[in-house]
Amino acid sequence: SAAAERPWRLFGAMCLLRLPRITQPLEKEEEEVAALMEQIELEKSHYSDHEIRKLEEEEQLRRKKESLYDEDEARGQTVIMAQDLEEKWEQKFLRFKAAPRITDADKSNDRTSLNRKLDSNLMLLVKQKIGNQELWLLPQAEWQPGETLRSTAERAMATFLGDHIQAKVLGNAPYGIYKYKFPRAIRTENNVGAKVFFFKAYLQNSDLSQAELKADYLWVTKKELGDYLKSEYLKKVNRFLLD
Amino acid sequence: DALLGCHRSYRSRPTHGIGKFKYLLPKEVPKRRKEKVQMKEISEGTEYQYGDINIQMTSYDVCLVEHFAQYVHRLCNRLSIRVNESYAMPTKTNEVLFLEERGSKMQLDAVLTTHQRVIQIRGLSSTFAPILLEIIQSNQPEGVHLLMKQHTEADFKSRLKSRPELEELLAEMS
Repeated sequence: SAAAERPWRLFGAMCLLRLPRITQPLEKEEEEVAALMEQIELEKSHYSDHEIRKLEEEEQLRRKKESLYDEDEARGQTVIMAQDLEEKWEQKFLRFKAAPRITDADKSNDRTSLNRKLDSNLMLLVKQKIGNQELWLLPQAEWQPGETLRSTAERAMATFLGDHIQAKVLGNAPYGIYKYKFPRAIRTENNVGAKVFFFKAYLQNSDLSQAELKADYLWVTKKELGDYLKSEYLKKVNRFLLD
Repeated sequence: DALLGCHRSYRSRPTHGIGKFKYLLPKEVPKRRKEKVQMKEISEGTEYQYGDINIQMTSYDVCLVEHFAQYVHRLCNRLSIRVNESYAMPTKTNEVLFLEERGSKMQLDAVLTTHQRVIQIRGLSSTFAPILLEIIQSNQPEGVHLLMKQHTEADFKSRLKSRPELEELLAEMS
């Protein structure tokens, strides 16, 4: 009887996050402070073994040039000089090429790829049909009695992305709730409105090789959410999103 | 300074022992050296609280790891999560040798030190745990590995040094 009296329909929605792969660039003040601290530490620090060795060898070279001191040579100088080592390390460093930080700027704002903003969280948005309208939402599925809300959310994720995604759901408790009432035309005694419970999950594997079932999906950052979601929905969703 | 002055009255005088005060203080039990191992572990209570959890941070860079450990400790203080202990595991030194075959065989050495800091937390409610994890994860610096696991006896024992002579004697006895 309790189930029959409850007029709200329940949905479980999944907010799938792709964690950032690179740190965000430092602010101007942070960079200045970092440079200052580095300079202070450099001036305060002692010489390391390598630097002492280098200085000694430079001294020996200088003495050899000024006046012929053959005793130093007889002392068993090592084959490798510290200067040579440094040059070798420099060459190695120049050969190393770091991966580009802005891969996506090249891709001209392609919002469906996962290789976008590598320094911020990306969320999955799917176009779903609710009532008569097609809306951009976080993937959601209706709750069936006898299953937990978390498994509803996982089911929603599985319908949109296929079964083999490795996503780690954070906890059994929902992160947010959005409830709305249906427009008067559809409202009946039993169906006043719907409540959507949001769960969060982290995407472990970043390659989605399985083809997505629905073609309209997007990976967006928190700032770009405003372009796609409705304002009420957006307000509730923004409450539990960290940047 | 007047109390510790050099005018200590002699034993025959009536003012002998005039400055004594230790008999007035409450008696202190002398501290025992050995530490007790097991503290209570709540795995799943009614409100779903975690027992002891270890947050282990490892990295090659000392400064990063220490500062991050400090940050996590202060964060827990602010969020009123009880921090049992925060300690450091001994550093491990690795020597990396490059064997170059081109030209003359040379070995370039690199010495890497791995540092680890552990923060032990108790009384984390399971509704709050994922939020904490998210905050720590999003503030993780580059090059620092984060690991959260439950505290076990093996973890505690790994901090203690083994005494081979004691073990030998025990083995001989039994």
